[in-house]
Amino acid sequence: MSGTTPELSSDVAVMPQDVVRDATSGSGAPRRRRRNKYRPVWEEQPTKAGQLAKGLTLSAVVLVVLFPLWTVVITSLSTTAATNEAGGLVIVPHSLTFNAYAQVLSGGIVTRAAMVSVGITAVGTTISVVVSVLAAYGLSRPGSFAHRPILFIFLITMFFGAGMIPTYLLVSSLNLIDSYWALILPGAVSAFNVLILRNFFMAIDASILDAARIDGAGEWRILGRIVLPMSKAVVAVVALFYGVGYWNAFFNAMLYINDNAKWPLQLVLRSYVLQGATLPGSGTGQVDVATGAVTGLPVKMAVMVLAIVPILIVYPFIQRHFTKGVIFGAVKG
Amino acid sequence: MSDTRLTDGTVPGADEAPGVAPAGKAPAKKKAKTVVPQRKVSWTARLKRDRSLLLMTVPAILLLAVFAYIPMAGNIIAWQNYSPYTGFLHSPFVGWSNFERVFNNPAFLHAVENTLTITVFQLLFYFPVPIFLALLLNSVMSPRIRTLIQSIVYLPHFFSWVLVVTVFQQIFGGAGLINQVLVNNGGSASVNFMTNPDTFLVLITSQSIWKDAGWGIIIFLAALTTISPELYEASVVDGANRWSRMWHITLPALRPVIVLLLILRLGDALTVGFEQLILQRDAVGADVSEVIDTYVYYQGVIYGDWSFAAAAGLVKGVVSLALVLGANKLAHVFGEAGVYQKS
Amino acid sequence: MNSSTTRPRRVSDFEIGRRGFLGMIAAGAAVVGVPSLLSACTSEGGGSTAPSAQATVSAGNLPNYYPVEYVKPDFPSVNGSTPGFSKIPASFVQSVKTPPGSGKTFTAMTPLWGTIPPAKGNQYYDAVNGMLGSNISFQISDGNTYGDKLATVLASAKDLPDWVCVPTWNMPPRFGSEIVPNLFEDLTPYLSGDKVKDYPNLANIPTAAWRFGVFNDKLYALPFPGEIITDTTFYRKDVLEKKGVDPAVKNGDDLIALAKELTGGGVYGAEDLWTTATYIYAVPAKWKMDGDKLVNRVETEEYRAALDWTARLFASGSVHPDAVAGNTAEAKTRFQGGKSLIMSDGLGGWNEALRDNLASNPSYAQQPFPVFRADGGKPVIFQANPVNIFSFLKKNSDEATIKELLALANAMAAPFGTTEYDLINNGVEGVHFTKGDDGLPVPTKLAATELQPTYIFLVDPPVANTKVQYPGFVEDYSTWMADAAKYLQEPLFFAQQIVEPAQYASLGQPFTDLEKDIARGRKTMKDLDAAIATWQSSGGDQLRAFYQEILDAQ
Repeated sequence: MSGTTPELSSDVAVMPQDVVRDATSGSGAPRRRRRNKYRPVWEEQPTKAGQLAKGLTLSAVVLVVLFPLWTVVITSLSTTAATNEAGGLVIVPHSLTFNAYAQVLSGGIVTRAAMVSVGITAVGTTISVVVSVLAAYGLSRPGSFAHRPILFIFLITMFFGAGMIPTYLLVSSLNLIDSYWALILPGAVSAFNVLILRNFFMAIDASILDAARIDGAGEWRILGRIVLPMSKAVVAVVALFYGVGYWNAFFNAMLYINDNAKWPLQLVLRSYVLQGATLPGSGTGQVDVATGAVTGLPVKMAVMVLAIVPILIVYPFIQRHFTKGVIFGAVKG
Repeated sequence: MSDTRLTDGTVPGADEAPGVAPAGKAPAKKKAKTVVPQRKVSWTARLKRDRSLLLMTVPAILLLAVFAYIPMAGNIIAWQNYSPYTGFLHSPFVGWSNFERVFNNPAFLHAVENTLTITVFQLLFYFPVPIFLALLLNSVMSPRIRTLIQSIVYLPHFFSWVLVVTVFQQIFGGAGLINQVLVNNGGSASVNFMTNPDTFLVLITSQSIWKDAGWGIIIFLAALTTISPELYEASVVDGANRWSRMWHITLPALRPVIVLLLILRLGDALTVGFEQLILQRDAVGADVSEVIDTYVYYQGVIYGDWSFAAAAGLVKGVVSLALVLGANKLAHVFGEAGVYQKS
Repeated sequence: MNSSTTRPRRVSDFEIGRRGFLGMIAAGAAVVGVPSLLSACTSEGGGSTAPSAQATVSAGNLPNYYPVEYVKPDFPSVNGSTPGFSKIPASFVQSVKTPPGSGKTFTAMTPLWGTIPPAKGNQYYDAVNGMLGSNISFQISDGNTYGDKLATVLASAKDLPDWVCVPTWNMPPRFGSEIVPNLFEDLTPYLSGDKVKDYPNLANIPTAAWRFGVFNDKLYALPFPGEIITDTTFYRKDVLEKKGVDPAVKNGDDLIALAKELTGGGVYGAEDLWTTATYIYAVPAKWKMDGDKLVNRVETEEYRAALDWTARLFASGSVHPDAVAGNTAEAKTRFQGGKSLIMSDGLGGWNEALRDNLASNPSYAQQPFPVFRADGGKPVIFQANPVNIFSFLKKNSDEATIKELLALANAMAAPFGTTEYDLINNGVEGVHFTKGDDGLPVPTKLAATELQPTYIFLVDPPVANTKVQYPGFVEDYSTWMADAAKYLQEPLFFAQQIVEPAQYASLGQPFTDLEKDIARGRKTMKDLDAAIATWQSSGGDQLRAFYQEILDAQ
């Protein structure tokens, strides 16, 4: 439990204390000004008890999340001997090593696969978001022509799936086997995301849109100039949903991509997790030809961490769009 | 033409309780209230008026038609004695017998019961958690701390279920941290949280909360951004306090999203954590952990009874769709937009 | 939100591997399809001593057995046990004089439980393909989801590669009845009888392994031969010695007592020992004869007794709590870390454990208990399937192509002591390994990247223990196995591809759950009785009749 967790939790705990100090001591004008910057003028000062409860709850939430995260990272930095010693995930670090990471990242396969994944995610997310935003806006005008049957078409796809084999046969007959499009097109539209987008679009004040229509603006223009700027938050969220979906997908690649050089990252990383598995009935057969590899938990955890890192990097940029402060300006402006 | 544009649509949320600002429409709400009774517009006029809107839906419809609807036709095997290698064009038809097998099976009905129990429990104890967390996070004033917390709590979503279960086992398991502490303090290791069928519901719900609640809040955070601060300012002028602002402004703004997600969750009522349950099946036994998806998986997929799996999938789809449409109707009764409107 | 990211998940989207593919063997072993009576003959070359009289099939359809021996094993095979080699010969024999290939490129699909090797510029592929004279271009697929991959590819004939590896636990339903004859080449005309002599290394594979690849009285599959015994019970020899505990176990009660004695201070005596229970009680894998009546595994006294023993083991509190919670994935981590001291494992886990632990813990030692019977009587060990993985050639009207592929298979099946074997298993000297002072190959870093099991999944020589790098291992192993092999018995329907009708496929599933429930005390023998009654009435008795018919025909 040493290391990062206490540090972070105290960071959170600072908040209520800060408030208390501001309210009572009046120790310094600059500090007070800083708080006021965040608290809208109309918002009353919170009660101490309320702040304490809030601080404690959030600290607890963060701790509960961070602790397992900590064990995952520490385990990924441990030796196999250390995981054996711990009988599983390592909590108290000793003799940290980057061996697991070095092993996964050596050979250049992972970097190549990462490029593939970045490409698929970027292209796929773009297509998905564009298509979904269009569809959602196209269905968002109350009383518009045929919007209910079309919505129904979307809704059906959420509950009636196609089996693995029919989908494969379709992809194969479109000659998409070994094509990156096989990883993008079949899942490009999620009815769920379309419905979410539509829900947000419909919450936009209809009078603004109607006014624009009276001014002669076409629907494309209204979408581009009015609706989208007001919907950055939900578009960011939906882009995140799609992006994460593309990033994490491995099963479709397993089915549709035979050329191992075209494998996306998740599929390659999975192969590291499987390393060292015992084959049934192989006995002392010649199965484990590649020896000297770090196996087991450290590699599994390193893989887990590596798979999350790109999301860690991208997330703050997307998050900006759905946190409060930025949007205030956007709505006003 | 121009006046129909103005008046043909009902405004979502316009019929909400008086004095409550509908979601996201701050200063202009007075205008929205002046709804002129709907006038009948001929469908040709509407088609002409909405053609660009229709055009916008075409790419998505095409994609779904090709990649969802065409392979969906493969579900015909539910009425066949199907073999993948004969293909559904040549497999013999067997009428409704696969559906009869689904319904005449006590094990399947037991799985349905477990599924519904888990769904109801999670609707009560899991569904509200992200909303609560989002509100809590939203009330944190410092952007730095807010961003920090938000950047941490979503992470468990990216952990595999294998890892989540392992982590829980290492904390709550018989050889886990808690029991070690108990033993070190002279107690006897007896906390049996992981293998106790009686508390299994609580266990899997806590796991779901841990894994996905932080991820679930982002959609609500996005909804919160659509509230104009002017609404709050106005309400303060009216003397509303913290709680009444929450009740009269914040929650109503979230309501359309909450209702939508609730309805869609109902559509997923028959789908509960497949992987999570398979992983813990041995720990608590199939009696409490067998759900529809696991049952169909063992029956249909592992043992290659594709026709049975397809029949069960269709039954599930029909029930889910019925639940969603029913819930949507119910939402309309309460004046909510739901998935789609009556208009 | 459960559903916030993507569309609703569908059952068919799920990978099979989550329960660990070991668990899948049991599930996948039931092959479904149209009944076909298959079997084979006794071997003419005397490779396996198959005593059971099997009538229905033409003896002439199987390849004759002509063993070749390039190196004399230090521990020769006893009753079919795996021969052991405790040193690397000074020089290797080249068993195939000229590269047999024509320079064509063939595609091959294989599973992999390991890291994916680079396809381009891979010196290992280049070297082996050079030795073969033709290029084998691999489509490697994740071993845990291989069954799904196979199911889709086999449903779409145009995507079928030239050479397909099929693990027996991944055999899709109706494989034998519909897929094999329609998609794959009948090898009988090429390999039956003495025709196999054209391929001496294939002729070196014992008959039982071939017999398992016979469908509808025709030979289709090239084998990856397995061992006669697959699993056993290991204990941590080093830890027990340090504790001064004598691991002498004569019967089932001794084993529970030992597990209990070893439990304490955060260490537990045992993992889930259900596999051990089935061994010490000689539970048949599928059927046994009781008088003149066929009795299913779940109906036997042995099965019931094994369940009872396992329940007693769990009740004793000596099973590691994580194992009680069903976490089998980390069982080896716990055992190798000394958190639990007795576990059931595949024999292959033995040298892997040495590989993974000797570097960090030089005193690490695990040892299997000598085989014993639960009641202390004479043990019975049922012989394992002769093959767990085999491969098929795509149907091809061109005889020359089939002959070429078989010639490539012949080179790949070269046994220990040949240059081919050395190349396939160790790669190129100076590139993938260097010779250590003791003459043993030391893998280079490049080997870890490039050299993954690929060719061996297409065809393999008879199994041999050549793990010379672990001091004493080959001797320990061979000695133990020679002893265990004394108690070997062929189970009913040994080495036969029997395809059960589809409707019986999932009959056994309730028992998989029941085994866990009874072990953990959630259910009792009464529930077992009820489950057996259900089994019998809902298809078990018909299944019995089905097997009886096969038996009568033999």
